[in-house]
Amino acid sequence: MSRHRHTESYTRRDFLIAAAVGVAGVALPRRARGQDTQQSGEQDGQGVTQGPRTTMSGPMNESAYRPVVLPPKPGAKPSMSDGQRDALEHQLHCQCGCTLDVFTCRTTDFTCPVSPPMHHDIVNLVLGGYTAAEILDAFRKTYGERVLMSPVREGFNWAGYVAPFVALGGATVAVAALIRRWRGVTAGVTGDAAASLPADAPAATPDEMARLDAAIRDDER
Amino acid sequence: MILLGEMSLWIALLVAGWACVTSFTGGVLRRQDLIASGERAVYATWGFVVVASLGLWTALVQHDFSLRYVASYTSRNLPHLYTLSAFWAGQAGSMLFWALILTTYSAIAVWSNRNRNRVLMPYVSGVLAAVTLFFLATICFGDSPFERLPYDVIDGNGMNPQLQNPGMAFHPPNLYLGYVATTVPFAFAIAALITRRLDAEWLAAVRRWALVSWFFLTIGITLGMWWAYVELGWGGYWAWDPVENASLLPWLTGTAFLHSIMIQEKRGMLRKWNVVLVVSTFLLAILGTFITRSGVIQSVHSFAQSPVGVWFGALLVIALSVTTYLVVTRLHNLEAKAELESMLSREAAFLYNNVLLVGIAFSVMWGTLFPILSEAVRGTKITVGPPFFNAVNVPLGLLLLALTGIGPLIAWRRTSVSNVRRQFAVPAFTAIVVGAVLLVLGMREWHALVAYILAGFVSGTILQEFYKGVGARMRMHGENPIMAFVRLVARNRRRYGGYIVHAGVVMLFCAFAGLAFKREFDVTLTTGQAFRATDPYGHAWRFVSDGISRFDALNRQVTAVTLKPWRDGRAMPLIESEKRQHVDSRGQPTFEPSTAVGIYEKPSQDVYVVFTGQTAPDTAEIRITFNPLVWWVWYGGMVMALGGLIVMWPASDRTRAQSGYAAVMRPAARPSPADAAL
Repeated sequence: MSRHRHTESYTRRDFLIAAAVGVAGVALPRRARGQDTQQSGEQDGQGVTQGPRTTMSGPMNESAYRPVVLPPKPGAKPSMSDGQRDALEHQLHCQCGCTLDVFTCRTTDFTCPVSPPMHHDIVNLVLGGYTAAEILDAFRKTYGERVLMSPVREGFNWAGYVAPFVALGGATVAVAALIRRWRGVTAGVTGDAAASLPADAPAATPDEMARLDAAIRDDER
Repeated sequence: MILLGEMSLWIALLVAGWACVTSFTGGVLRRQDLIASGERAVYATWGFVVVASLGLWTALVQHDFSLRYVASYTSRNLPHLYTLSAFWAGQAGSMLFWALILTTYSAIAVWSNRNRNRVLMPYVSGVLAAVTLFFLATICFGDSPFERLPYDVIDGNGMNPQLQNPGMAFHPPNLYLGYVATTVPFAFAIAALITRRLDAEWLAAVRRWALVSWFFLTIGITLGMWWAYVELGWGGYWAWDPVENASLLPWLTGTAFLHSIMIQEKRGMLRKWNVVLVVSTFLLAILGTFITRSGVIQSVHSFAQSPVGVWFGALLVIALSVTTYLVVTRLHNLEAKAELESMLSREAAFLYNNVLLVGIAFSVMWGTLFPILSEAVRGTKITVGPPFFNAVNVPLGLLLLALTGIGPLIAWRRTSVSNVRRQFAVPAFTAIVVGAVLLVLGMREWHALVAYILAGFVSGTILQEFYKGVGARMRMHGENPIMAFVRLVARNRRRYGGYIVHAGVVMLFCAFAGLAFKREFDVTLTTGQAFRATDPYGHAWRFVSDGISRFDALNRQVTAVTLKPWRDGRAMPLIESEKRQHVDSRGQPTFEPSTAVGIYEKPSQDVYVVFTGQTAPDTAEIRITFNPLVWWVWYGGMVMALGGLIVMWPASDRTRAQSGYAAVMRPAARPSPADAAL
């Protein structure tokens, strides 16, 4: 009982301290102004002037394009169909500052100056006989890993792919252990449970109990 | 009115502070006068925030460009609907809108509990007032929509063209209504933890609020998908963008809670877990807001990097610390009152369902935050896009779909093998038939195939449940099938409303699986030129360019390309896609050009046309996409929302009284030989 009171008083103090910290946290940040990234213009005294160009996700990085050029392979033939090339473009991230892949950006945002030349590089590499893996690798060497729409499955990136399943597996094991423990406890208390029923509880035959149990379960479903 | 609104905001801040202090103090000291004062202050805060909101709306409607916010997001030629929706188009206005919803919810929660949960209510009022105080402080000290410009402005900047869409007028309010509704269950959970009254009382109080949150999040997410599909022109509706993910996270944990709450109500189990889910749902809503407003992650939908992001980060840390402490110090109060009898039971199925839902939430959050983690650990920027999320979440989603069908077939407490055999026969048969038909038709996309087989299984489950229920009513009450169906649902809204939600889930999964058969074509057409393509169903299409036209509309200059489509030789309606250059009231261009997609919509597929560019006066670059089953996303979302509405519709007192059972029976003693002889 005393422990209970102690915990309560500590919690109140803790809560007040937390509230004070929260208020301090709220009061500390400076006054500053922001505008949606999706707004491109700036107000001036006369009306509207055009600001820097924007993508759907923020300022456009117009100079992000870097050529990815490799000499054609000897006797090169196109390494893939147009459909396969489009699928490959879905795996490369446009570098204009948007969150889209090259194919989607160049066919959606026709003001983007980056995705069309990236597309041309891909077309030339396909005509030069390079495979999808080789093209992805060439882009990765030029732009870095961020040019890929999903992390390469190597090194630390494996944590990204594996962690959700590890967490899920761990949770499943924990739930299974919990259920096992619960069932153990239930098995241990079943006999006592019947004995602890009120003395004035109406009597029922096993058959009646079974029917009642079935009815309850049916009702609960 | 505008000045009054600004003043009201500051007064609301003070009153919310008063509500917070008096409510907590009243609760601790058990002073009824302070508790009553705190509750009155909650109502008063709502009133002042309403006045502040009316002030901003007045400024927007009157085009008062002396306010930076009005000048930044509206212009004189902006259509009326979007002038009103500009309230939540920018950072500062959306914060005020959040505060408006929060104070409205707070007032409703306090009023509806004026004669109930009286031990909890001082703390509920206190938590609600504390969160309100945070938002009002953020507005007043961080980013106020009433900030004035130091110079005169002739016309405003106007609204981003992509926000000038009916979907965007209604999507954010619904999302906010859902996000903010998570605060009320959170407040009740904190109150229950503080007072250590962790029985079913607080759960009963929060169940409807959790449903309200889930309902609006469902509508908001669906509308968001629709907006992205018709407005952004990338041909899809879900890109695993961080802000999209942020809206999905509280929806997932909220869905988990709505399932696990039933276990606590019926069996007294999962008490700790339910508290964790309620708290997590609120924290994830705040995390979503933090992601949207901090600029920490790049997104299509985000606001610019601004100081309010830091504020939300602070709120997140404080709320997490306080709730963790409260939960840890009250673990012994959260012990289960009953134990699981069988791994093959309804409650076990709900447990697995919870593990999966929370697992998906974790994987989505992990993928969203992984670029930050990677940069911190390796110093390398990476992109985590749809390929990653699909690789991780598709298997989990399919497992979840399977459980959606399995759960309702299993009885509470325990299920016998014969019961399993009987219950699973029809759904399993349906699944086998669906799979066989699709294989015969040549479907070889195994993810889609598994999805459709499972959809068949879940549909079989739902139909079986309705068939049995309707049949029973027809036999017992002599009702016709329609009346029996209506009364079946009306008499047991939670159960059958839930099945309707599951039907919506099936529709959604069918639509998602349809993406596997999407076909895109990137073409250049001069006027009169034709393009031929075959859709995923094998129909032959011919598209003829009808030319490019130019015209002016209300606040934009439009360049449009029109296609004449034929399917298997039959003429179809014209499809027109536009490029729009928005202009201000003086005809000067504003913003980058935007796209208006042309869509020929059918339940089987959409023909989605995007005018991507113009290479000559009569030559258009066009992307044509066959998008199978997209229609089912919107209607699946609606069906889910309808099911949610049925579930949360208040039950009559008579229905409530009929639910549950109170009698306790004990087994009779074996008759003695003497009794038997008599």
